Amino acid sequence: MSAALLDLQDVAVGYNGTPVLEHVSLAIERREFVALLGPNGAGKTTLLRAMLGLAPVLGGRIAYGFDRVASPPGYVPQRDALDPIFPLTAFEVVLMGTYAKLPPLRPAGAMQRQLAAHCLELVGMTVLARRPFWAMSGGQKQRVLIARALAVQPEIMLLDEPTAGVDHQAEAAISEVLATLNREHGLTVVLVSHHLGHIQSAVQSFIWVDEGRAVKQSADKLPAVTGPTGLPEARAATR
Amino acid sequence: MNTLIEILTPSFLLHDALVASVLVGAVCPLVGVYFVLRRMIFLGVALPQVSAAGIAFAFLAYKIVVGPHEHLEVSERFLAVLGSVTFTLCVTLALSLFERRGRGTVEARIGTTYAVAAAATIIFLAKDPHGDAQMVNLLKGDILATTSASLTAMEMVFAAVVAVLFACRKELLLVSFDRDLAVVFGKRVGLWDLLLYLLIGLIISFGVMTAGPMATFGFLVVPAVTMRLLARRMLTFSLGAAALGAATAFVGFYCAYRFDLPLGPAEVGVASVVLLVVGATTRVLSALGLWQAT
Repeated sequence: MSAALLDLQDVAVGYNGTPVLEHVSLAIERREFVALLGPNGAGKTTLLRAMLGLAPVLGGRIAYGFDRVASPPGYVPQRDALDPIFPLTAFEVVLMGTYAKLPPLRPAGAMQRQLAAHCLELVGMTVLARRPFWAMSGGQKQRVLIARALAVQPEIMLLDEPTAGVDHQAEAAISEVLATLNREHGLTVVLVSHHLGHIQSAVQSFIWVDEGRAVKQSADKLPAVTGPTGLPEARAATR
Repeated sequence: MNTLIEILTPSFLLHDALVASVLVGAVCPLVGVYFVLRRMIFLGVALPQVSAAGIAFAFLAYKIVVGPHEHLEVSERFLAVLGSVTFTLCVTLALSLFERRGRGTVEARIGTTYAVAAAATIIFLAKDPHGDAQMVNLLKGDILATTSASLTAMEMVFAAVVAVLFACRKELLLVSFDRDLAVVFGKRVGLWDLLLYLLIGLIISFGVMTAGPMATFGFLVVPAVTMRLLARRMLTFSLGAAALGAATAFVGFYCAYRFDLPLGPAEVGVASVVLLVVGATTRVLSALGLWQAT
């Protein structure tokens, strides 16, 4: 088992045999807070999905410093990926996270319900537990999905654009939740983002994804973001 | 009122048909909710048609190999079950395989399945005039021909399917709601899909055998669509759809018996009226701010 939580060794990822990114070598350490940055269509989400085992690794290998079967990673998808037709309450969505460690055919019991309630509390959503998931605002949905990922009791959480399309206040709330989970609970966080915004102060390193490559850098090299996206500065820092 | 009392009497001549009808009405929506949630409602049209093609093929094969069969012979029902289950399960397995490999779009696969099944049914029947007469009965809903033996077989199959659906509800929900998460959790999504399709295949086979393709499609879809307008939780959604299906089947049976209507269309008609009423009511209440649309 690798010392790093995630160790990408000369990895190529893509779809239908065509690589989107090649020669990616980097490691994600425990308790690290990493942002995946880059322009649209550069392959940030593809790289994240490869780390999750959702996108095929065409070359190289990804070594996991944890048991992916016994303790899967927490995953927060883009909230639009989930169909609102499902009549589920916020609590039911979070409870789904506990299924990761439940064997087939065993229903969620009192322990799983307690865990789900605790995870909702961690993201400050206890009062909305019985509210229909589809009726929530974008920011509220995102926090519920973070609670669902926490219910996995993961060592690492991977999030796909958790602050995309939410208002300023919701972005601040989500950023605060993630920063607290990393700082106080030692949770390793990897997130895809178009712009860092409020989350920038929590980020310890970033992976710049562009032109078929992905390079990891310390956050020290990430200049203060003054514009709405901060991407040009990030690009400059990697060169 | 007298008619109602009459059909509720245990010695009622069509007691088995009534029980079978309510059972189909109650159990079809339990798999129908997955059709609605997975946005593949048209599979509910295609698979009953596949089942009908299977029945037509079984009659034709029997005629070719053994000779003409008689209506209501014991072997006729066995033949129909065999043809229906074989065709439905084979096609559901094939559809599951295509879905796993991601070939084409869901709509294209379902549309093609329906077209092929409908054409095959007509071709098989054209070669078997006896089968043609029986298929007309089936399409109307041959539920009145339900015998205690066929009812017992259906009860056993439906009980087994409901037990599996209940036991696997956690996995089936996860795979349907967030497939990626299920993969991240290491769940074998292909196998869970396959299980769901098999359960759907069994329910449809026995539903078509008992109530005909039209009523089966109606019960697969209409109660689930109606309940989706009301339900805010998965459990309410599933159980509510089943209860609504059973209730509309009972009322449909009553109307068919009381007003001498074909059973299948009467049941679907009642279920559709309920959908219209619920849809209109929730829309009005929503406009008045008294209801939050689901």
